Amino acid sequence: MKTLNLIFASAILTVSVISCKKETKSEEKIKADSLASKKEVEQEFHKDWYGIYTGDFNSKPIATEYGNEIEEYKKISVKINRITKDSVYGYSVVNGNQRPFRGILNENTLGFVLDEPGSNKSDGRFQLKIKQDSLVGDWSAYNKSDVKSPEKTVKLIRKEFAYNPNFMLSKKSYEESDYENPVDWNGGKVKTESYVTDEGKTETYENTFYRSASDKVFVINASKQKLAEKDLKNLRKLDLQIIRNTVFARHGYSFKKATYRQFFENTDWYVPVSNNVDADLSPLEKENVALLARLEKYAEDHYDTFGR
Amino acid sequence: MLNITLDYVPIASDVSFLMIKQTEVTSRPEYLPIFYIHVYSSIFALLAGFIAVFFDKNLKYLHRFSGRIYVFITLAFSSLSGIYIGIFANGGWTAKVSFVLLGILWFYTTCKSYSEIRKKNIARHKFWMWRSYALAVSAITLRMWKVILVYLFQPNPMDIYQVIAWLGWIPNLLLVEYLIKKQNR
Repeated sequence: MKTLNLIFASAILTVSVISCKKETKSEEKIKADSLASKKEVEQEFHKDWYGIYTGDFNSKPIATEYGNEIEEYKKISVKINRITKDSVYGYSVVNGNQRPFRGILNENTLGFVLDEPGSNKSDGRFQLKIKQDSLVGDWSAYNKSDVKSPEKTVKLIRKEFAYNPNFMLSKKSYEESDYENPVDWNGGKVKTESYVTDEGKTETYENTFYRSASDKVFVINASKQKLAEKDLKNLRKLDLQIIRNTVFARHGYSFKKATYRQFFENTDWYVPVSNNVDADLSPLEKENVALLARLEKYAEDHYDTFGR
Repeated sequence: MLNITLDYVPIASDVSFLMIKQTEVTSRPEYLPIFYIHVYSSIFALLAGFIAVFFDKNLKYLHRFSGRIYVFITLAFSSLSGIYIGIFANGGWTAKVSFVLLGILWFYTTCKSYSEIRKKNIARHKFWMWRSYALAVSAITLRMWKVILVYLFQPNPMDIYQVIAWLGWIPNLLLVEYLIKKQNR
């Protein structure tokens, strides 16, 4: 009898708990719905300002004996998604670190105050003024001790981001520079070399070697042509890396690795807008990216080792 | 060499060298089995050949035993599979001709050497087997050259392949011919 009672009791309990859960769920849903409808009716302003502003994100110049010095040069993109009567919504991307912000617009001064969430040690506040196509101002970190440069100047220009499979690194722009081909300035290998002087003494010195890419990076477009092993077998790792990452650059991927960033930040077409563009890749690009990644892995493991 | 072979254990279709041979692996069903015959048999051919070449005088039984294994593995598996893989070698015609030729010569010299010993021509058998083993050892010398050339020049992978395809066995053969000449004097 007792056990029967127990079973009854527990059954009633579970039923009530489940129904409770259901109730809370439906309540939440109602809340969400009302929020959504609120959003829809909330009036938006300055829609013409919506979009991507991209440009310099540099540390404040410090006066030194050699004049003003800027320690840190970075690129930032700020995207403004919505402006309502009392809020501004959007996000910023620096080196693949994408942070949402929420802020306010002062209609009189045309100034934005935009706050990042603060859950990341490199979060801070933007104070920017809008003038036609430019967004200029500064940024300061909430947490002054955890970041390299807590105070930064922000100079942005409005850019339209549009994916275009034809964008490439341009051979011409490299020919105009001192180096004919892209060079990976971030991955130097130091080698110690030695020579014998006239007096018979052996002197050693250090030489830093940088990888440089071949002309193929200006020609092979992984967004437009179906690539096969035979097209890529004779390329070295850096070529493969550039060809693969040009696909991501076209989609506005904000690179976390400086090795890749350096090649695209100097082009006139690259606009970093997102820290994840995987879903935007076309089937052709996905296939090519997988193939390139496989060959990169092979190059890494086998290029200079005993084997094939 | 053992390490390289062990890369291919267990059998997979996309490890190590096969990572850049997916075109062949996916379009030719026979490529993968023949490739694996080559990989798994060659290591034993190298080992048996080594024992046979360097233990010839005093340990007759061991010499014959390992020699027979070497001849059998080389003729039945390693050289023929090598010729097939050579047809699809990386590095275009330059490399393909080299590898196919290497396979044919390896088969021929081994065959010749075996028929000489059947006729009890020990000296001829010895010289032909030297040639045969010099070609077998190209497996090692080719990879050695690759490391050296990459260290010196950092060439593109397929450019280097065309060079080592020939550098792997021609000097070996020349060296052995020189040793044979010296013996005959």
